[in-house]
Amino acid sequence: MAEQDIALMAHLLRRAGFGASRDEIEAKASQGYDSVVQELLNPESQEAVEEDLLIRYNPSYYEAAAIENNVQQWVWRMINSPRQLQEKVALFWHMIFCAGHSKIDSGQEMGLMVDIFRQDGMGKFDDLLLKLSTNPGMMYYLDNTESHKANLNENYGRELLELFSLGVGMDEAFNYSEDDVKVCARAFTGWNIAPPYPPFPHGRSPWEFRFDPADHDFSEKTFLGETGNWNGDDIIRIVCEQPATARFLARHLYNYFVADEPQIPAWRLTPPRDQKAIEAMEKAYYDSDHSIKKMLEVLFTSDFFKDDSVRYQKVKNPTEMVVSLIRMTGEFQGYQPGLFEVSQEPKYMGMDLMNPPTVEGWHTGREWIDSGTLVERINFASDMLGNTELEGVRSLVNRMMGLGAKLTPEQFVNGCLDLTGPVQVTPDTMGQLIAHASQEGDLSHGNASEQSEFTRRTGEMFQMIAATAEFQFE
Amino acid sequence: MATHFFGLTSRTYKYSHAVGRAEFAGTGFRNPTDMAIAADGTVYICNRSYENRPDGVHITVITMDEDYVTEFGAYGEADGEFMWPTSVVLDSKGNVYLADEWLNRITKFTSDGEFVSKWGTAGSGDGELKGPAGLAIDSDDNIFVVDAGNHRVQKFSLDGKYISKFGSEGSADGEFNNPWGIALDGEGHIYIADWRNDRIQKFTADGKWEASIGSSGSGVGQLNRPNGLAVDSDGDIYVADWMNNRVQVFAPDGRYITEFRGQAELSKWGRDKLASNPDMIRQRSLAYANDPGYEQGLAHPCAVKIDSQGRIVIIDHTRNRLQVYVKEAEPALV
Repeated sequence: MAEQDIALMAHLLRRAGFGASRDEIEAKASQGYDSVVQELLNPESQEAVEEDLLIRYNPSYYEAAAIENNVQQWVWRMINSPRQLQEKVALFWHMIFCAGHSKIDSGQEMGLMVDIFRQDGMGKFDDLLLKLSTNPGMMYYLDNTESHKANLNENYGRELLELFSLGVGMDEAFNYSEDDVKVCARAFTGWNIAPPYPPFPHGRSPWEFRFDPADHDFSEKTFLGETGNWNGDDIIRIVCEQPATARFLARHLYNYFVADEPQIPAWRLTPPRDQKAIEAMEKAYYDSDHSIKKMLEVLFTSDFFKDDSVRYQKVKNPTEMVVSLIRMTGEFQGYQPGLFEVSQEPKYMGMDLMNPPTVEGWHTGREWIDSGTLVERINFASDMLGNTELEGVRSLVNRMMGLGAKLTPEQFVNGCLDLTGPVQVTPDTMGQLIAHASQEGDLSHGNASEQSEFTRRTGEMFQMIAATAEFQFE
Repeated sequence: MATHFFGLTSRTYKYSHAVGRAEFAGTGFRNPTDMAIAADGTVYICNRSYENRPDGVHITVITMDEDYVTEFGAYGEADGEFMWPTSVVLDSKGNVYLADEWLNRITKFTSDGEFVSKWGTAGSGDGELKGPAGLAIDSDDNIFVVDAGNHRVQKFSLDGKYISKFGSEGSADGEFNNPWGIALDGEGHIYIADWRNDRIQKFTADGKWEASIGSSGSGVGQLNRPNGLAVDSDGDIYVADWMNNRVQVFAPDGRYITEFRGQAELSKWGRDKLASNPDMIRQRSLAYANDPGYEQGLAHPCAVKIDSQGRIVIIDHTRNRLQVYVKEAEPALV
């Protein structure tokens, strides 16, 4: 199979999913790029997670109250779900529609919110925003439960416009006014939560959205130039018709799936990295009546996505780092103890899943990396890839042996880079890796002691690759 | 005015009381998966808890009147420890046997909770185990182990010597798909919750298939991943219909009698917990007014047992409590 096909498929599976084992990458490359894209875009065409088995072996996952159980369950799905894009899209929305357990204090509500992102994340944007705006966890997180007809709290109204749909501005202009924020908040008055059961003695009940007409401001409102007796769903309809929303979504999708963009607050003044790509996705948004799936279809089938120039241009976020390594090494397939520790790894690297630092979310791109998180990333990656006992790593070692009876240091390094990505490295890094491999000369695997040595050196080279700057990107 | 009676009218069931609350230790349970009830009313409940709260993994010993006795066992792999407990059962001398579906072993404790021995080897050969789920001990002190991952039931002596087996993977009569619970009736018949085939299968004492009850679904007599089950002295069969959040009752011939969806009121320990927390009392009052069914209802019931008084005791897994029903001989007002 052509190397470029494997490299392109690996790129697609890193971006539209959480990577894959080498065997899976090759199988999908044989299947063909466009066919795999359609599978990813149509999760219902793929096997679903077997919910009964998942809960049988993890009975606490049902109506799970503890946040750890919800994070763990999500990480399990990222690792195991055949519907990889669905989980990747859920993470995408979680990084935009930020709400966190530190305030909500209900793991179950965080799990339910992520499930909306999972189930509706590729549908019509209007529907997603309505689900979000009636999600009790979000209502509480952004104080809509404290926003009343007689005593307005603007928080949800503001964040809906600034962070969840229009964005502050584009093409150097502002997208909305302070008056629009107030009107938006007025339209969402009365959107509240029915009283849930307390945590004791049998656990909280799931929160339930409740509209209270007595607390809703039914007066006439002018929002983004349109006047009427607007309720929250009217606001969502108007917002979703705005060009700024199409731009906002296109830039977010590009930033998450294609290449790192500037941080979001800079978007009003900083033009997109690839204006034509953004325009193509904006057009798809309008042509498809606001379908996220159609925007993604344009993205994944475009030249701007497939192009060499965008590969390894995104810093892996901590969740991508952890889950992709687990998938590459074949760990945690099925049901077994030990997932709790692994599910906490993204937190150690600066991404506390279901608990973003603020409503603005995590700063992405190179801001994922500082001296502390870099050590965590390298340690985790080299512990996984250097463990030649793991099934997936053993399979990679066997593939390395399959490259020939005798490998020169150059062949050895190239083989290791190919199997762990394929990872693209600078000439400088390449020189260092080859220099290291050359210290111990050529590699053979004819007898047991040579095989043992070959395995040791391969694990060590994988660890060195995991420690390169290049491995931090995807 | 004529009164018309339909269905099987010779039984009346009445909700009795609830036992327990959510706790990681002491007076409560955490994700309980099974229980065994001694003749004197002592109840042994195995708590599965979850990985980041290993302190919740142990056997809690209580009475049916909700008095705390003790707890024993802990999360781990050492002797007397367990990781993924699925089932607990008592022999004729009151010793306690616990199945661990991750470690593939059965651990024996005295009735006071002291470790006695352990047995079990992972595998699929005769006498080997892959995810042991339900346990039952017959009147001759043989132990049946539902060997879920091998889709079969194996019979052992109490010290783990293999005796026999029946069943294999499939959906035909006598075949299993990931079976879970097991119960024996007074005549030695064996009832198996054929979990992923959504049915109960009845066998003779030597493993010959006799009948099946149930099909997939949520309607009358249908099942969605049944797990625990019990048979009372009349031969009526009680099935924890796990993902349908109910317990269904079948007559000995398999006809549907009724179902329990849960009617829990606050248990003694539940009241104690709330008594010290006025804010939660207020919050619960509002929630109860909004939706009383949430607190009353069964949530993933996973085990049913009959105690020595003939009461039907249900493990209400997700709500971390027991719900107890009584079967009245005479017509009873509910």
